Amino acid sequence: MVGTRFRCGLGRREPHRDGRNPVPVRLGAPGARPGWSGDPRGPDRSPPHAPRRITYPSGVPLIALRELTKRYNGGVTALDGLTVDIEPGIVGLVGSNGAGKSTLLKILLGLIDATSGEATVMDLDVRTHGTEIRQFVGYMPEHDALPPDATATDLVAHLARMSGLPTTAARERTAEVLRHVGLYEERYRAIGGYSTGMKQRVKLAQALVHDPRLLLLDEPTNGLDPSGRDEMLELVRRTGAEFGIAVVVASHLLGEIERVCDHLVAIEGGQLLRAAPLDTFTQRTGLVAIEVEEGAERLAATLVGRGVEARLDGRAVVVDVRDEGFYDLARDALVDLDLALVRIEPRRRHLEDLFRDEEPGEVPAA
Amino acid sequence: MTADATPRPGGDPPIPSGSIYDLGYRGYDGPRLGRRHAVGALFTHTLLSCYGIGRGGRAKIIPFVLAGIAVLPAVIAVGLVALARQAGQAGEFITDASPIRYETYFEIVGQIVALFCAAQAPELLGRDQRYSVLSLYFSRALERTDYAIAKLGGFVVALLALVLAPQIILVLGLTLSSPDLAEGLGENLPKVPPILAQAVTLSAVFGSLSLAIAAFTPRRAYATAGIIASFIIPPVVAEIAREVTSRDISRWFVLASPPDVIGATNAFFFDIRPDSSVIAAARHPGELYLVVAALAVAACTGILIRRYQRISA
Repeated sequence: MVGTRFRCGLGRREPHRDGRNPVPVRLGAPGARPGWSGDPRGPDRSPPHAPRRITYPSGVPLIALRELTKRYNGGVTALDGLTVDIEPGIVGLVGSNGAGKSTLLKILLGLIDATSGEATVMDLDVRTHGTEIRQFVGYMPEHDALPPDATATDLVAHLARMSGLPTTAARERTAEVLRHVGLYEERYRAIGGYSTGMKQRVKLAQALVHDPRLLLLDEPTNGLDPSGRDEMLELVRRTGAEFGIAVVVASHLLGEIERVCDHLVAIEGGQLLRAAPLDTFTQRTGLVAIEVEEGAERLAATLVGRGVEARLDGRAVVVDVRDEGFYDLARDALVDLDLALVRIEPRRRHLEDLFRDEEPGEVPAA
Repeated sequence: MTADATPRPGGDPPIPSGSIYDLGYRGYDGPRLGRRHAVGALFTHTLLSCYGIGRGGRAKIIPFVLAGIAVLPAVIAVGLVALARQAGQAGEFITDASPIRYETYFEIVGQIVALFCAAQAPELLGRDQRYSVLSLYFSRALERTDYAIAKLGGFVVALLALVLAPQIILVLGLTLSSPDLAEGLGENLPKVPPILAQAVTLSAVFGSLSLAIAAFTPRRAYATAGIIASFIIPPVVAEIAREVTSRDISRWFVLASPPDVIGATNAFFFDIRPDSSVIAAARHPGELYLVVAALAVAACTGILIRRYQRISA
């Protein structure tokens, strides 16, 4: 399967709409930023002097990886012949810790070099055109990356200039983008006194300040409490859906990432597990765990015998529920076997479950 | 969070004046000036932050105290000379007797430059390493080498400012306090080229050496100790070598001692006898010290760039 070409992404998407957040949609095609694929921008939006804008031929994927391999000096293989195309949208890059997500993002930025294979971003080779790519890419690293003695305003404005923005524009963009991520008066205080949630917002702001075409987020919800996670995910969703910026979010938490992204790219051990639009997964109603006091093996066998996809997981039987009729079937099976039911609960899906039967010959997550 | 205050289409009541509402995300259509601009901005930022400008009040204390100490003798010297010239004949005598002269000033200011390096170089490089800020830099419009070069350039220019400020005061003060302006210009202007040459040499050698050391540790204390050691230990070694070995061997030790090399280029530029006995005993031609200084700057710059090529971000 290594070397198989996957293509995911729709190119143009409908914006996510929900009643709670009636935020004005940008002019131009909603969701997709004008100027994406050489699209002429509406004359009402054109500044008097043409800005330097990155364009690339339509039909070329936003990110294209071919047999991308990275071996570290210690002999660790972080990426192993990864081949995938990623199109604009909100793409979730999922995989367990050490699957190669961070390595992939760093190769796309030119922070580290691949051992072999090719990677292009916006039709530019990451090896030879790193500086050009990075002008139009925003990166939010996984780790803490903020000097505690600087204020958010100073740091973000400085980094905006490092992205090539003129000083005045850098200041204006900084004020705008910090307000956008939800930092107001705090932005004049030293970052050292910030909460983790505020620091994550600063990290997102510095990635957005130069209005990138592509945003690479590495575990944006790291270290956040549940409400902080919700807010960060909402920011990520808005960034992708309303600002028209393509987003690649790396995360090991599938349950989180599936709330915001429209495509999933799953990697494991540096290899591609699957890349596909999220809707192909969400058609399934998900997994349910049936816990019984004893006799889980018999229950599983019975369910399988009655045509249900079930497997044993400790004291529970995990079932892939495809229609409502299953619950009657399960009830009947329990009664027939005379088993004591403890609980039936939806199971948080793990990566392995998600990709288990989709690709039969696939490498199971070891 | 911000979306609640978004103006809605239709006939909603007008937003009361003074309220803040979300304008929505706006893209950026302005110019993107790219790598060169980024390097220039980092250079300026480095130069300013060497003096704590753009940072908190505490960051300004050390650089400005050191700059004050560097400038103070020049101010006193100019003041004394001006007073003495008011007094008439005795003025010339005092001018000649003054220990603070162009050619001796680098000796005085050299120690302060070393302290400035030990205090500021670790801050300049260590901070970005300590807090992993480098990944935010290297994911932008500039290259790793650009970062190293911009930091080095900014730091060397900051040192130049520290070294030249007192000399400028001396030149201006002595020229303007001269009874005859033409005579004052004639006396002081010829000193300007050697002043500039020595200032550049001193700043480049000390600056590149300190940054090459500071680049290797995020720990401030280690970097400071390393820089101080590189300024203190080699002269001592050179001195000991002169005592215990033959002159044929010991004279080469001088070339490995940054303060002695700088002292020797000072003597060369101002065409005076070096007052250090070690330099005098080595009896190298002045040009050799210049070559050594240039090689040292090249080597330190190379080490710095190489370090930033390899540093993980």
